[in-house]
Amino acid sequence: MRITCPHCGARDAQEFSYLGAADLQRPEGMAASEAAMADYVYQRDNPAGLHRELWYHGAGCHAWLVVTRDTRNHAITAVEPAKTRKAGAAA
Amino acid sequence: MAETATSWAPRSAWAGVVQAGQIGVAGAAGVTATLLDGFGLATLIAAPGGTLALSQLVESRIGITLPTTPKIVPGASHDAIWSGPDQWLLRASTREGFGSLLEALSAQAAVSDQSDARAAMRLTGPRVRDILAKGVMLDLHPSTFVVGDTALTSIAHIGVHLWRLADGPDGSVFEIMVARSMVGSFWSWFAASAAEFGCQVSIDRSTGRG
Amino acid sequence: MSTQPFRLASGGLIDRGQQLDFSFDGTSYRGYAGDTLASALLANGVRLVGRSFKYHRPRGVLTAGPEEPNALVELRSGARREPNTRATVVELFGGLTAASQNRWPSLAFDLLSINGLVSPALVAGFYYKTFMWPASFWEKLYEPLIRRAAGLGRAAGAEDPDHYEKAFAFCDLLVIGGGPAGLAAALAAGRSGARVILCDEDFRLGGRLLAEKREIDGKPASEWLAATLAELESLPEVRIMPRTTVFGLYDHGIFGAVERVADHLPQPPAHQPRQRGWRIHAKRAILASGALERPIVFAGNDRPGVMLAGAVRSYVNRHGVLPGRETVLFTAGDDGWRTARDIAAAGGKVAAIVDSRPADPARKALADKLGARLFASGAVMGARGGRQLSGVTIRDASGAMSELSCDLLAVSNGWNPTLHLTSHQNGKPAWDDGLQCFVPGTVPAGLAVAGSAAGRFTLAQALEDGATLGNEAAVEAGLAARPAEPTPTTDPETNGLSPVWRVSGGKGKAFVDYQNDVTDKDVELAAREGFRPVEHLKRYTTLGMATDQGKTSNLSGLAIMAEQTAKTIPQTGTTTFRPPYTPVAIGALAGHHRGRGFRPIRLAPTHDWSKEQGAVFVEAGPWLRAQYYPKPGETDWLTTVNREVKAVRASVGLCDVSTLGKIDIQGADAAEFLERVYINGWKALPVGKARYGLMLREDGFVMDDGTTSRLGETHFLMTTTTANAGKVMQHLEFCHQVLWPELDVRMVSVSEQWAQVAIAGPKARETLRDVIDPEYDISNEAFPYLAARPVTVGGGIPARLFRISFSGELAYELAVPADYGDAMVRALMQAGAPFGITPYGTEALGVMRIEKGHVAGNELNGQTTARDLGLGRMMSSKKDFVGRLMAGRQALVEQDRPSFVGFKPVDPSQRLRAGAHFIGIGKPGVMENDEGYMTSVAYSPHLNHWMGLGLIRGGANRIGERVRAYDPVRNGDVVVEICSPVFVDPEGARLHG
Repeated sequence: MRITCPHCGARDAQEFSYLGAADLQRPEGMAASEAAMADYVYQRDNPAGLHRELWYHGAGCHAWLVVTRDTRNHAITAVEPAKTRKAGAAA
Repeated sequence: MAETATSWAPRSAWAGVVQAGQIGVAGAAGVTATLLDGFGLATLIAAPGGTLALSQLVESRIGITLPTTPKIVPGASHDAIWSGPDQWLLRASTREGFGSLLEALSAQAAVSDQSDARAAMRLTGPRVRDILAKGVMLDLHPSTFVVGDTALTSIAHIGVHLWRLADGPDGSVFEIMVARSMVGSFWSWFAASAAEFGCQVSIDRSTGRG
Repeated sequence: MSTQPFRLASGGLIDRGQQLDFSFDGTSYRGYAGDTLASALLANGVRLVGRSFKYHRPRGVLTAGPEEPNALVELRSGARREPNTRATVVELFGGLTAASQNRWPSLAFDLLSINGLVSPALVAGFYYKTFMWPASFWEKLYEPLIRRAAGLGRAAGAEDPDHYEKAFAFCDLLVIGGGPAGLAAALAAGRSGARVILCDEDFRLGGRLLAEKREIDGKPASEWLAATLAELESLPEVRIMPRTTVFGLYDHGIFGAVERVADHLPQPPAHQPRQRGWRIHAKRAILASGALERPIVFAGNDRPGVMLAGAVRSYVNRHGVLPGRETVLFTAGDDGWRTARDIAAAGGKVAAIVDSRPADPARKALADKLGARLFASGAVMGARGGRQLSGVTIRDASGAMSELSCDLLAVSNGWNPTLHLTSHQNGKPAWDDGLQCFVPGTVPAGLAVAGSAAGRFTLAQALEDGATLGNEAAVEAGLAARPAEPTPTTDPETNGLSPVWRVSGGKGKAFVDYQNDVTDKDVELAAREGFRPVEHLKRYTTLGMATDQGKTSNLSGLAIMAEQTAKTIPQTGTTTFRPPYTPVAIGALAGHHRGRGFRPIRLAPTHDWSKEQGAVFVEAGPWLRAQYYPKPGETDWLTTVNREVKAVRASVGLCDVSTLGKIDIQGADAAEFLERVYINGWKALPVGKARYGLMLREDGFVMDDGTTSRLGETHFLMTTTTANAGKVMQHLEFCHQVLWPELDVRMVSVSEQWAQVAIAGPKARETLRDVIDPEYDISNEAFPYLAARPVTVGGGIPARLFRISFSGELAYELAVPADYGDAMVRALMQAGAPFGITPYGTEALGVMRIEKGHVAGNELNGQTTARDLGLGRMMSSKKDFVGRLMAGRQALVEQDRPSFVGFKPVDPSQRLRAGAHFIGIGKPGVMENDEGYMTSVAYSPHLNHWMGLGLIRGGANRIGERVRAYDPVRNGDVVVEICSPVFVDPEGARLHG
């Protein structure tokens, strides 16, 4: 697989680490509930189709990226830096 | 103590790993490797929204602009090398005066001295791309990876920072930087990959230490 | 030395001036440059080349290419011995040695051929049925028996002496196959300036043009071939790679290929790899891999001397070998007739032509011209002979049988497109009823199929496809379109075909899959027993599962199953293929990454110094660290480690800690960031001070620990454990970029910049005093515990000094730029010499941290919480931090959760082992009684007994209780007393001294 890093260009998937779903919002602050955090940490969809997911370009520019990938055939339709939006998955 | 000061000799990242001479097949070398030593190196990271201010400061001090894409901007005494979004490596040909330059730049950047953190090597010769093709998972064709292009990538699972510095009489000149602790493993890959073409290894001591 | 009795007097693409001596099963033979091992053996009249997998039947060469199921040999000897190499693709070299496989005691006389007589026991599903019960018999009896009886070649059993490497290539167009279609494609794209890579598995380019007598533009095809190759070689952006098999197609246009750099030589020349594994990135690819000829299933179709008709043409036309004196041709189409024609042209005798199709005057005339008897609507019912074909039984149109003697039976049943790569990305082949074969159906984006691989079998179609698709690929790669050039003309050809899947009613076994010894009866049995879907058929009979992956057998198997179930072939199933197309040596996939190059190793700046001191090294994450420093006369590690520990606690020692991860964290929000990633507070930490920090994963378990120092108001230096440095960096980048991008925090690893050494022991300060430049006051008052400040050494070299301790002693860590690491450790050794300064390694470090009850990797194992480790009180209740909520989950705060304490043996002479589980005294050692486990143990030279750290239910509330430390794997069962985890200096007096 090749992933086109918006900073570095097309790179082998070997340069990246995968994390998972990109569009999760960490429940922030002292008021957050344990239930909301449990959802954030553990609950995931498993779509057959387009999936927005986080990849880390560890062997390159160290950017966290949101990659839109079709889970059925690995076709990648978009890659954008995660830093430009406010959302995240559990570490 | 003053009397021990004479024994504080610096030791190159390459020491104990590589020696000057020919490796691989004898005869005309397909590539020449020059080990670089004694340069100054630092990471600069701009504050959020502070890239322009940092760039202006760098330009006023050393006359080069900071690239905003994966490029190296070479200067008379310093090179600016893109190393991530809003992040650069500043390389000085000598460590003399480098500390005070970094001090000045810290007004506009998070500065981290990395002068001892990397081993660097310059490569040129007709087979340089053939050797790099054994480890670099990037298209280094002359029309694709042009003079001034850089890449943060990996070779044989070792992180590298490489660029096409210039084109010279022996073809393209590439430079590669690798983490100091990995230099033994990196050289093991390089020596095995270069052997079939023959490689002349020399050590550049022209750059001084501050 | 032989005379090559089957070599033609002239002709062929061999170099008769270059004789090559080789041996097979110990007998010496001679061939020519340009031979394959198979062609050279056939030239020498060697027919019997192996024994079959199950029945040990004599087998000969069936094909002339990579699909060969029979002629598998062990190539070379000693450490270079390679099993299961196909003699049909082994390029002959002088001094080649090869041996037949799967025969005992000899190829000609094989005792295990009685397997053929007991064959009812070896039919389809025999593994499943015969050897089912009792289970214990499988390991001891059945498997060894089967392995001796059925098998392939032997691996060398010694380390491969050769070097392998990987390489990466990029191109506009990858052309797979160097036959007429591939050459035409490469030429068309290459002429427009495209970057083209042309790979062919053969050592000579040309594909079927090498094996056929054809004309292009009115001249012998060899002239077109030579001119095309010359032009391709003149194009700077075209790279021609012979001896290179493209074995797989992967995501995003990435192809795997293996280049056999030195397989055609006795051993690789100096500095050359044996093979090179390529990963080729292609914008476009053209599959021009040709086609594989199909056998016919009839009784005795495996006799040595039964050969595919196209293969016979290869041997005659390319290698100048006529593989028989008297030939019978069994054909289902026009293509087979070429073989009869070429044999006759070469001076051979064609005794008979058996054509499955009805009588036809033109064919009759041609047969007469060739001097051959023609059996129209005929069939070969059986082939006779033991180690060599001696004759065939032919049924004519009337049903009458004739016996004919012959030593070569050429079989022609049409061709299957070599479409394997089209299905590697889930593509499904489609059945073409007109062509009676599978053709590429859904084809991956970016891949086009040309010529025979697409079912366009004529030479004219191959040339036309290549030119058209090559042009298209160049245009798609962004190059200017070129005016169309006239497609070369060819001599006329016809491709009439009426395939014969099998001839029933013959006597004896009729093989579908030669290599796995699967017969038509096995397929019938599978049909009767309900294993009808093609995937079941495959697994039940092992059809298509051998090293050739059914290249000559899959379609016959499908066809027989279709016949048995009264379905069509496409209704029965399709054949899908997965990579690799042909077997690939592991070495070519591993490349440089074997032995010491298996993975990169990191070395500390003090490594060479440690080596000088005679250190023994240990892998710690990616690092090699000094484990201990044995002195002359010390015969076991424990003696050394005890000495090192005692020296530190009595005087002073030093230990490299450069391997710890070091992350420079700067920015206006740096302190706020640390508040969020660590469980404890950071905003109040004064500049010039260090603090121990613990970070959790978001699920509440401990991720890592370390000390972080505040170097400035907005500048921190974090240290991580050696093993987790990369993981922590990734986590921090995640927290910053994904969770809190609004924070001004700027991070970079400075692990490589600093060489760092721990100096520990009562004499640590006195040692350092001689090394730190005199203007820095490092007295206890000026530089107290947890001070962290810049200093200089050696007369102005910038350094950092941290007063932190892992050993519990008065201790410091001194960091200098890595270039000075070697000098630093030598200066410290010199300064500490009056105190007997002792280098110590990770073992002594471990002993001392266990004596002090400090947690390390064994405790930070991903299953422990801060609370489990007795660090729960560090968790701030005034701020949010990663892992806070999940760490508070009920199950993680239950009172009886195993928690951290120390253990000592009740009998002080007994040894403890990490990994032992705690069981109540008197209780059986079963899961239900498990109370926790020992995480770390060491021998304390101060206590003079073993001590342990571990996690046990109830933990600190059970101090003084005794339990069993039960370790059945290593026969350990020791009664231990639960105690405080701090074994030495519980008051911490030494630390602050």
